[in-house]
Amino acid sequence: MTTRFPATHAALLGIVFAASGFILWSAVSASASLNNLVVAVPVAAVLGILVLLVIAGTFRKPVDESAKTGVWGDLLLLAGFAAFCFALTHIGFDVATFVFVWAGVVMSGGRGLWQPPLYAALFTVLLVKGFGSLFPYPMLTLVL
Amino acid sequence: MIDHFALSQAFGLLFTSIEPWLWVIPGLLIGLIFGSIPGLQISMAMAVFLPVTFGMDFLQAMLFLTAIFTGGAYGGGVTAILMNIPGSSSSIATAFDGYPMARQGKHNEALGLGLAASVIGAFVGYILLLLLINPLATLVLKIGPMEMVVVVLWGLTLIATLNDGSLSKGLLAGFFGLMLSQIGMSTTGVMRTTVGNPHLLDGIPVVPAMIGIFAASELLRLRGSSYLVQDEAQRDISFGRILRGVGETFRYPGVLIRGSLIGAVIGAIPGVGSSVANLVSYGEAKRTSRTPETFGKGAPEGVIAAESANSSSEGGSMTALLALGIPGGAATAVLLAAFSFHNIIGGPSFIRNQTDVVYSIILGNLGQVVLLAVIGLMMLRVLGMVVRVPLAYLVPSVLAMCAWGGYGITGTIAGPLTVAAFAAVGWLMRRNDYPVAAAVIGLLLGRMMEGELVRTLQISNGQPLNYLLERPMALGLFVFMVIVLVGAPLLKTLRQRKVQQVEN
Repeated sequence: MTTRFPATHAALLGIVFAASGFILWSAVSASASLNNLVVAVPVAAVLGILVLLVIAGTFRKPVDESAKTGVWGDLLLLAGFAAFCFALTHIGFDVATFVFVWAGVVMSGGRGLWQPPLYAALFTVLLVKGFGSLFPYPMLTLVL
Repeated sequence: MIDHFALSQAFGLLFTSIEPWLWVIPGLLIGLIFGSIPGLQISMAMAVFLPVTFGMDFLQAMLFLTAIFTGGAYGGGVTAILMNIPGSSSSIATAFDGYPMARQGKHNEALGLGLAASVIGAFVGYILLLLLINPLATLVLKIGPMEMVVVVLWGLTLIATLNDGSLSKGLLAGFFGLMLSQIGMSTTGVMRTTVGNPHLLDGIPVVPAMIGIFAASELLRLRGSSYLVQDEAQRDISFGRILRGVGETFRYPGVLIRGSLIGAVIGAIPGVGSSVANLVSYGEAKRTSRTPETFGKGAPEGVIAAESANSSSEGGSMTALLALGIPGGAATAVLLAAFSFHNIIGGPSFIRNQTDVVYSIILGNLGQVVLLAVIGLMMLRVLGMVVRVPLAYLVPSVLAMCAWGGYGITGTIAGPLTVAAFAAVGWLMRRNDYPVAAAVIGLLLGRMMEGELVRTLQISNGQPLNYLLERPMALGLFVFMVIVLVGAPLLKTLRQRKVQQVEN
């Protein structure tokens, strides 16, 4: 199936445009001196042109989306990953890691009833006792 | 150039007892482990083990800490090849071709190429340091912000060459990275885009962003596959094939020597170092290659160029430390701390009065490089096992380590959240054929570029072009850069036309 403008591409260009616009606005409102804008203004101007060029290019060459599957699966794992990152310092590194690895293994096709949770538990212990002990910062844990 | 008496004393210091070497192998192993785990930095390893050196004599302490430095520089390349996770910013370019090689089942060869290029690069870097420490120190003192602008600009030109399919997409990714580098407090102390969040005062943390955009986004893409290497027959960890990769490195002597020289010279520039050296070297290898279209798809030259440059930059970075007492980066800052623990001050007087110790540090590092070749070959068999782990288990495990790595760098929730945010951006970019590496290069070099540009503007009273004409070194570098960027492709086109004319 070919499409002129995939939704993921529109989302990316939207993020680029919105983030660049906000950074430029923030930099200009903070100080309009040359020293402050020496990179931000020329880069934003070139980015604006590039966004237009890419959009024009995309309309000229339709994209084959059929080869790219699994958007929802990827998005689900990505959302889970974001939730895990947030949970690390809120519910504890050990519990968050155990739950994420278990769910991640199952979502990625890991089979068996007891293997994924057993692996997740062993991996979590190894990570907390090994990796965690090297951290120069305090690390919140709930169980370990 | 070499003080022969001091050199013979240095041999005496190093080889009359085993003591200076006792901690070298543990140091290399620590470096390899820290370097190959995303989020654990070489400088962090050196800082963690710094107190261990209290009980050692100065030379032993130096060899132990520099062994961590040497092992870590190579360890970062191993994960870049096997999992597309550059252990540090100095291994970004290694992932460009190393990872595609691994996915094609050539992980053994890629690891061998990386090891040999690292060993040769580090060797060349330290030999140059031994021969040229005094002239290099004079050169470093002449480098000002204008020269830095030219060097960083050179690194940034790689952005334009990273996407063969669409130049505008490559540039867009790179400029987006540059724009993101403008978040946080500017060089002149102006707050921009911090949205009241104290975590953004220093800008976006580059290493967590790099982990997210490179590794996490790639892992999401791998989710549907069963193994990193699909063909079961290719999943072997073969010592013979690793050695074949080692041998293949010497089929590209030009790439190897050029990468090593670029690394040693750029590495000597404080604050720039290996982060830029590997990019410039990779860019030059691609520009001068007869088959530039293979770069990014598993070209051995790409791995050799990147690894030789980042390893030789280690020798370069020691120049400023030993000759001037200036740390070029976080790792050399830890070495400087070790200097002060032992009541030693780096700089011209150190070189003049304790030449034998300086030479023994350099010679000791040359010895470490040989040991790295042996230890590296042994460790590669263990590290290479990753290709045998089913992706259903590998993907969530490495994703979890990515988030932990983000925390390990910042010590706050900002690290893991940066990893997650950039994983999403990276996923969107990869899905739409944008080169994620270009965005990382922009983010990494943007802030450096801004700082040096502002300093240049201030020094030149707003007349940077006139100032460029007054700086022969900057002008020379600029002219050389233009010749390389424009001249090499022009020559290649002319040569191709001639060949076509002869064929017709």
